[in-house]
Amino acid sequence: MVREYQIIARNYDLAGRASSDIKRTLKAMNVPWSFQKRVCAASYEAEINVVIHSVGGYATFEVNDQAIILDFYDDGPGIPNIELAMTEGFSTASELDHANGFGAGMGLPNMKRSSDLMTVTSDHEGTHVHLVFLRGKADEK
Amino acid sequence: MKLSDIIKKYQCHLYTPEIYHDKEITYAFCADLMSDALMVLNSVKDDRVLSECLLITGLTTNQSIRTAEMLDVDIVLLVRGKIPSLKVIDLAKELGIMLMSTEYTMFNTSGMMYADGIKGIIYNQQW
Repeated sequence: MVREYQIIARNYDLAGRASSDIKRTLKAMNVPWSFQKRVCAASYEAEINVVIHSVGGYATFEVNDQAIILDFYDDGPGIPNIELAMTEGFSTASELDHANGFGAGMGLPNMKRSSDLMTVTSDHEGTHVHLVFLRGKADEK
Repeated sequence: MKLSDIIKKYQCHLYTPEIYHDKEITYAFCADLMSDALMVLNSVKDDRVLSECLLITGLTTNQSIRTAEMLDVDIVLLVRGKIPSLKVIDLAKELGIMLMSTEYTMFNTSGMMYADGIKGIIYNQQW
């Protein structure tokens, strides 16, 4: 099963809609609670990142027997220094982002902590965040 | 402490129907930064902790409701008498999250609840 969601830049009213649908789907699939929470926390952080930092993008959500795979693609402007962006507390977010409860520089570190595999590729044309959650681990049994 | 007692003691104003009237509240977490809530509450080891948990926040946007949804927290308590917008109330109703507010500040709310025996959630919280 693969689903796709559009993510609109700077739209805080709709931010979280994709993760909400992912959450409902995992619940309906009876995926264990702690596994669900891990996927959803990472998904929500990634979705918010696209809303905050990009000019817009989309996400795909794939479920197969081995894993749950989330991909977030945006159309730029890209992350100049990924290593720096992975540092807890590093942020380029605006006051508006802070007023919405995000932008503290915890997004990417939180995603890394929640997922089993994370890769980030970025250039001026956009960023791709790839997150894998392996099924059959302790919290999915 | 029963949710109904919290509503009475903290003079909470309810923005959504009182759907969890008899719920026992054992834990609470307060944050204005939703990444903090996601990180700490995501590390909880037992689902009973979050089902008996209040999210105390000063953030009146959709994001406090979405964060509660992601973590399976049923109740969001706004502090300092903050008034959420209609779209936030509608989202809470749609997701079955109880949204309420108290006039007490975040510090005072937390301190009073701690004195009432409600425990704060820490990283990797066990029941």
